[in-house]
Amino acid sequence: MKFTHTPLLSEKLPDWRARILLLFLMLAFLALAVRSIYLQGINNDFLQQKGASRYARVLELPATRGRITDRNGEPLAVSAPVKSIWAVPEYVEVTPAQERDLAAALDMDVRELARRLAIEKDFVFLKRQIPPQLADKVATMKLPGIYQQAEYRRFYPSAEVTAHLIGFTGADGEGQEGMELAFDRQLLGKAGSRWVIKDRRGHIVEDVQSIKPPRNGNDISLAMDSKIQYLAYAQLRDCVAEHKAKGAGIVVLDVKTGEVLALVNLPTYNPNNRERLSGAQLRNRAVTDTFEPGSTMKPFTIALGLESGKYRPDTIIQTGNGHLTIGKATVHDSHPGGAMSVSQVIQKSSNVGATRIALSLPPEDMWNNFESLGFGNPPKLGFPGEATGRVRPWKYWRPIEQATMSFGHGISVSLVQLARAYEVFARDGDMLPVSLRRMEGPAPAGKQVLSPETARQVRAMLELVVQPGGTATKAAIPGYRAAGKTGTAHKLDGGHYAENRYIASFVGFAPASDPRLIVAVMVDEPSAGKYYGGDVAAPVFSRVMAGALRTLGVAPDAPIKPLQYAVKVEDVKESM
Amino acid sequence: MKLPALVNANLFHKLAGLFHDAGAGEWQARVTPARTGGYASRPAIQHDLDPALVWSAAILLLMGLVMVYSASIATAEGGRFTGHSQFFFLVRHAVFLSIGVIAGVMAFQVPMRSWQQAAPWLFMAGVVLLMVVLIPHVGKDVNGARRWLPLGPINLQPSELMKLFAVLYAADYTERKLADMGSVKRGFLPLAMVMVFVGGLLLREPDFGALVVIVTISMGILFLGGINVRLFGGLVLVLGISFVFMIWASPYRRERMFGFMDPWQDAYGKGYQLSHALIAFGRGEWFGVGLGGSVEKLFYLPEAHTDFLLAVIAEELGFVGVALVIGLFAVLVQRAFAIGRQALLLERIYSGLACRGVGVWIGVQSFINMGVNMGLLPTKGLTLPLMSFGGSGIVVNCVALGVLLRADWENRQLMRGVAV
Repeated sequence: MKFTHTPLLSEKLPDWRARILLLFLMLAFLALAVRSIYLQGINNDFLQQKGASRYARVLELPATRGRITDRNGEPLAVSAPVKSIWAVPEYVEVTPAQERDLAAALDMDVRELARRLAIEKDFVFLKRQIPPQLADKVATMKLPGIYQQAEYRRFYPSAEVTAHLIGFTGADGEGQEGMELAFDRQLLGKAGSRWVIKDRRGHIVEDVQSIKPPRNGNDISLAMDSKIQYLAYAQLRDCVAEHKAKGAGIVVLDVKTGEVLALVNLPTYNPNNRERLSGAQLRNRAVTDTFEPGSTMKPFTIALGLESGKYRPDTIIQTGNGHLTIGKATVHDSHPGGAMSVSQVIQKSSNVGATRIALSLPPEDMWNNFESLGFGNPPKLGFPGEATGRVRPWKYWRPIEQATMSFGHGISVSLVQLARAYEVFARDGDMLPVSLRRMEGPAPAGKQVLSPETARQVRAMLELVVQPGGTATKAAIPGYRAAGKTGTAHKLDGGHYAENRYIASFVGFAPASDPRLIVAVMVDEPSAGKYYGGDVAAPVFSRVMAGALRTLGVAPDAPIKPLQYAVKVEDVKESM
Repeated sequence: MKLPALVNANLFHKLAGLFHDAGAGEWQARVTPARTGGYASRPAIQHDLDPALVWSAAILLLMGLVMVYSASIATAEGGRFTGHSQFFFLVRHAVFLSIGVIAGVMAFQVPMRSWQQAAPWLFMAGVVLLMVVLIPHVGKDVNGARRWLPLGPINLQPSELMKLFAVLYAADYTERKLADMGSVKRGFLPLAMVMVFVGGLLLREPDFGALVVIVTISMGILFLGGINVRLFGGLVLVLGISFVFMIWASPYRRERMFGFMDPWQDAYGKGYQLSHALIAFGRGEWFGVGLGGSVEKLFYLPEAHTDFLLAVIAEELGFVGVALVIGLFAVLVQRAFAIGRQALLLERIYSGLACRGVGVWIGVQSFINMGVNMGLLPTKGLTLPLMSFGGSGIVVNCVALGVLLRADWENRQLMRGVAV
């Protein structure tokens, strides 16, 4: 039976209408198929790229920052794994009791926690850098919407003892001060990366590419010896307390290698808790600040005199009544000594003596001498903000300037520069570069600055300083022959010397027979009465040097004899 | 009506026949040796039910179940209201599917004559439900649309019921008014006024998608029923203009319109949903990222298990999966039209119009849903028939299939010379 055979239907329900309708529907389905081919086979690159921009993310795999250790591998700065707790507030479901528990676990105020959980963001830190054990406790609470991320926190085990040398890192792990800044690139390492797809709630769904592992930072060994560092710190702290000083610094150098075995500044700070830091605490004075050194510079003048051939240690210098007028200015000695030998000029610290010797030498030679000794040049420690000090060009020197420079005024140096310059006496006239990092292999050859003979002659003079009759008997060390020079200088205040503010210093080395260590001590504004380098700085030198030599196992070179308390020798004060 | 007899004797044999393609002789011997006689050799009546229809519907339903589960896992596990159970939507969908199949089998038991008799009453009941749902505190609001009637544990969506009722009623109306189809006043206007009223109710919810489907069904049946071509052309024009006007008049619909025109313009705002659907298509490529591998369903694509199920299919099963779904819907629609044609050949006008009405419904709704998923059409709240999650929708789809199969079965009985 054909459709058209039904008269009523062929008239009223023509089959073409159904065919057209069906055709339309089939064409519509065909259109869908074509569209699907376009989306899935042709335009898919564009769409996938759009998709990737929404849920593909590069995750950083943090590299562990390298450790900083002392020369014996003692850790001074380590990165401890910590966790930061964060939340997606929208997904957080906590009962009030759970909220209280969480707040307690995080050591937070419940209201503060509630406030953070009410922030309308996709990512809110609840608490940063908490210990892993605490984070594990939070994890066991299994709270939806609360997540953790692994981070590293820099920890400084020796805290304020090494603060200035080590420095610290910022919140994002970048070096901000000290060695952390100086060697940031070696310490930093290279973060790895992971290219992942995340769901909208931030969970990682899959890795798109292979993981690029992080390259951890390199460890750095400092030249510092923790025992000597602590000893130096403790002695300096006591000294600052005793003399009510504004600040102080100490540097211990290894004569044989040029390594910095200890470097302490006061006031210091705790790098693990830097909430209340002042600029004064932060300054690494020994490296970044300069001061007028005073008499500790005299031995260089004397050495130059000896080198010129015009003087020998026993050459007599007339110091008269301790006054020498040059132009409008007058140079004073605090203990007028009349005629004294070159050795005595050092021993008694005579300004007039030093001036007479200096004025007999060409300014150019003196300037060259300062230059070779490293004054006016950065010590190239690699430490951020190293001070170069100031030595004016010799062409513009007036005689009075040349005179004052001979005893350490009108010239500025940093404590590290000063300590290093004493290498020239501690060694046989040559100098090594100083290093904050531990040296591997044999020490480099030194640069000859003075003849060995001159160096030995000055060394002998410096030994006199600590012996009875010298300015720094308190620098003597039982069992060892010590040598050194005191310095006491008026502080500069707005271009003028302040009347009653001083910098007391002492630079010396031991054992004098074969010097091993140089210790330079500087005390800023001792204000408890005593202010001479021989009284304030020399005792610190003595104790630190004695302890350090014993720590290093250096053989004594002097017979140990009871101290001669009975002998009363008049104190000799250096001239200023 | 000999309902009980039909159930007991034939249903399972009918279904069994689908699964092993029994030879004509065996079939006669087993079921109706005396009656089939001369028709036995004709392929059209080898089976008691249309195999292509049953298979396409069954595959769509089962594929829908699998894909609803896949698309909803993340939402179900991550949601508060689901109790963090990944099976939340799967279990519900399976329950609705079971209810749907049972309802479909029950619908199959009802003769087409009874459906025709019940049609006006069902339609009126549907209208009443559409009014009830608008009553504040009775109808349930979800996302600013009041479309659901809470009935204990489940929510009834009257607009879904109304789609079936519109088919049944429009077919009945058209058969009764067959002689007046040339007249605007007597043939067209009465149904048009009823539909305008229903349309008004649907817009109040609002359920623009259901409105489009129901109007298309009515128009389609009127067109098939022989309505004046000129009148129909003019009507399509008027409807087209009024749809455009409605879209312009409502900021909510206009926003959806613009999102569809260029989803990348405001990809994180109005075009958010569509842009993610399109990304899902692009990620799927030809063979898909694999079942369960969709990223878009991980909270990016909203309504992944309902309106945007096809996007998840596209991502996980690729073009192959999408083409399969389109193909199965095409087969289903073609079979509905073929059954309708057979019914008309047997001079069963109501069956014929109702079957084609179901064909238009499934065809248009699936086309709109898939078109929306692919960015061919503006975003509407229409589910993918037989597949998307949604209780009322699935059950009503199954009932419609039951009616379709009933018409088919009656055709076959008639062709064998058995009165129904």
